[in-house]
Amino acid sequence: MLNILLLIPLVGIIILWLIPQASSLYVSRILSIITISLALGVSLVLLIQFNPMDDSLQFLENIPWLAPLGLTYRLGADGLSLPLIVLNNLLTGLALFRSDEAHHRPRLYFTLILFLNVGVTGAFSAQNLLLFFLFYELELIPLYLLIAIWGGAQRGYAATKFLIYTAVSGILLLAAFLGVAWFSQSTTFDYQSLQHHHLPINVQYLLLIALLIGFGIKMPLVPFHTWLPDAHVEASTPISVLLAGVLLKLGTYGLLRFGLGLFPEPWLALSPFLAGWAVVSVLYGAFTAIAQTDMKKMVAFSSIGHMGYILLAAAAATPLSLLGAVFQMVSHGLISAMLFFLVGVIYQKTGTRDIHSLRGLLNPERGLPIIGSLMILGVMASAGIPGMVGFISEFLIFRGSFPVFPVQTLLAMIGTGLTAVYFLLLVNQTFFGRLTSNLSNVPQARWSERTPGIILAILIVTFGLQPAWLTGWIESSTTALSHVFPISTTTLHS
Amino acid sequence: MSTLSHSTHRLSHLLHRLESGGALLPDSPENVTEVVGILKSYGVVLGEYWQNLIYISEHQFLVLFPFFKYFNGNVSPGKLIRHWFHDRINFEFSEYCMKAMFWHGGGGLDAYLDTIEFETLARRAIQAKIKHNPLIQGINAIFSDFLLEQVRQMAYYSALGQFWRVMSPMFLNLSDRYDQGEIKTIPDVVQHILDGLVAAATLPITYGVHIGGQPYDIIPSSTGLTFLADTAVPYVEAVFLRSFPFMGTTSYNAQARQIPIEQERFNYGALYADPLPIGGSGIPPTLLMQDMRHYLPDYMDTIYGDNPRGNTDLRVRLCVSFQKSMFCVTTAAIKGLMPYPPDTCEPSQQKANRRYLEGWLDRLQESRLMDIQD
Repeated sequence: MLNILLLIPLVGIIILWLIPQASSLYVSRILSIITISLALGVSLVLLIQFNPMDDSLQFLENIPWLAPLGLTYRLGADGLSLPLIVLNNLLTGLALFRSDEAHHRPRLYFTLILFLNVGVTGAFSAQNLLLFFLFYELELIPLYLLIAIWGGAQRGYAATKFLIYTAVSGILLLAAFLGVAWFSQSTTFDYQSLQHHHLPINVQYLLLIALLIGFGIKMPLVPFHTWLPDAHVEASTPISVLLAGVLLKLGTYGLLRFGLGLFPEPWLALSPFLAGWAVVSVLYGAFTAIAQTDMKKMVAFSSIGHMGYILLAAAAATPLSLLGAVFQMVSHGLISAMLFFLVGVIYQKTGTRDIHSLRGLLNPERGLPIIGSLMILGVMASAGIPGMVGFISEFLIFRGSFPVFPVQTLLAMIGTGLTAVYFLLLVNQTFFGRLTSNLSNVPQARWSERTPGIILAILIVTFGLQPAWLTGWIESSTTALSHVFPISTTTLHS
Repeated sequence: MSTLSHSTHRLSHLLHRLESGGALLPDSPENVTEVVGILKSYGVVLGEYWQNLIYISEHQFLVLFPFFKYFNGNVSPGKLIRHWFHDRINFEFSEYCMKAMFWHGGGGLDAYLDTIEFETLARRAIQAKIKHNPLIQGINAIFSDFLLEQVRQMAYYSALGQFWRVMSPMFLNLSDRYDQGEIKTIPDVVQHILDGLVAAATLPITYGVHIGGQPYDIIPSSTGLTFLADTAVPYVEAVFLRSFPFMGTTSYNAQARQIPIEQERFNYGALYADPLPIGGSGIPPTLLMQDMRHYLPDYMDTIYGDNPRGNTDLRVRLCVSFQKSMFCVTTAAIKGLMPYPPDTCEPSQQKANRRYLEGWLDRLQESRLMDIQD
């Protein structure tokens, strides 16, 4: 089934290039949407067939590939990866739906997005370290091109910066993966085999640090974050959505799967440092977001802060905090995607993202009242207001991390308060007050522009009110992951 | 022919326009179409408003819980359902205007409602109304001014109803004359309104109710109240200029002294209202615009058709058009109340007229006057 999930977008790409009419924006967009809808449908079937009580890998695919290199085509999914696979297909579908402005070389544009989808799904499914690396690198090229070709005025700079940072990230990951196999004298790169390595502890430290920096760049964590705001500002709306909603999760997923999963002992020893790093990221992201006047940059720095929560939860590594970490990945995927969609509509209608140039957009007659209402819901969710998905994820993280790192957790909780500060500044400045005269002829938002935001808002509220519908898929796997520690984190703390 | 030198007033261009027979609203074919079209729909809506106001004043007199006051005595399950689904005229708007007049007062009606004569007549009607209702009798005994104040309010219901009973056909007639090609310019519009106001100026304002088959006068004809001085002028003052203290389109903070202490200094009226509502719905101008949009003549499509937002902001554009038309009514009122004829050749009279006009322009400086000059 996971094979089919990867094959569908590839078949879609082939069809895109076989049909002459697909050179038009309309046809290529429709074909791509149909393709991803099929992929989303298959991923939902996987979700239904998935046994949430079973903490082992499911839907395993094992095809020998380059045996001398230790590379096997081995795929599988568990509660850690399956929600992210579904999220990837959902957000790709919504991004394609909103890609109605890609008039320049549409066929190439949609091909790259489908490739991106394959890369991300593959990375989340790969159970071989080299295979993960290949998929991890595969998504890099299309994303670079999507920013470099269809981005804003400074797209060249932003795309190159993204490429350099992520390439360094890839090199570090490759070095760590090769190191694990090399030092453990393993003939395979299969994840499950390498989990039982007996490497000297100092080697494990070295390899874990390489992974931490590699995935820290991808997440991104301070101080490896500077590529992200530039990439977001220059990327078009659908690409920003994918970047924040899905691609950053490759970093957090990798950190949990490979950092924590392969090197539990050094992870445990480094966890106080990781928790401190998380706090720095959370507070730096939040304070920097407060200083922003560009809405997109504000949401981008907000993402940096929110990724810090995941690091805190991963450092604590209790069953509850790990559950919160994965929940936060999905939650942040939904919320940040929604915020970027809405910022995109505002930019499209008003021609600016500068919060000092916008005022009164909630005006029911001449503003963007539905977009504004969705934005208010989105920022409330991001700030962890109860009843929405952001509250559940943050509560799980804080509740799960507090017994292990009380001080760091309390400091991270300040970040939640600061989220409310910068998003209130944004909402108050942009949506409330009297619509300024230069905005009084803002075109009305179309339903096609509102739809992605509405779909995401429904999911944000649904999982906020009924989180068990999401935690049920995740819990067994995260609990199993927390058991990789030789001693419990609570014992360590005491 | 004016013998006065060029004015140094800040709005001297408007002053000279008024002195030379123009209006506060610039004359253009588009403005004429817009004003006549909006006044036609306003005339239809006013026709509904005045009938309901008169009905309430006569048939809902001292009804403690007037649940069906907007039905003009014709209640049926179908009408109730349409009412609840908001398929109806927003009669609340006319009540807001009535309350604005009642609150700001002014004119002979306000003065009469504080006289012994009114109190005597009102108490006679009250006694007749409550003689079979011991509960209300008890309330009246404890709070003797309560029902009296209700009767004063009823008097304003009636007075505003009578005022709009004249204005409604006047606006519809303006539209008919425009259709016949008789109205071509904004000064024509102003003159039509001025002629209508002058013709109705001395119409008596009276009010009485029937209780138990017996007539009870509340405002007898002997009080000498008339249309222009006792309803039209207080109406313009209250609704166009001062209006309601808190029911405008903008939120005001009384504690931050954003509300003047003296009522005379209020400027929240229709001429000052922001057409862009801020925040929620349900504000009075919105109610009127909701009503008027149903009765717009077809030619208004040409004015409102070219819009990137379609019809979603129609109420805002209706409000802008309505304000333009109200500046025409205000021009007619200003001209009608001029101390000397506008075309006087006497320099001292011209000087007095100019002082009078400058006073009005000073007052309207903070209004939407400058926004409608483009």
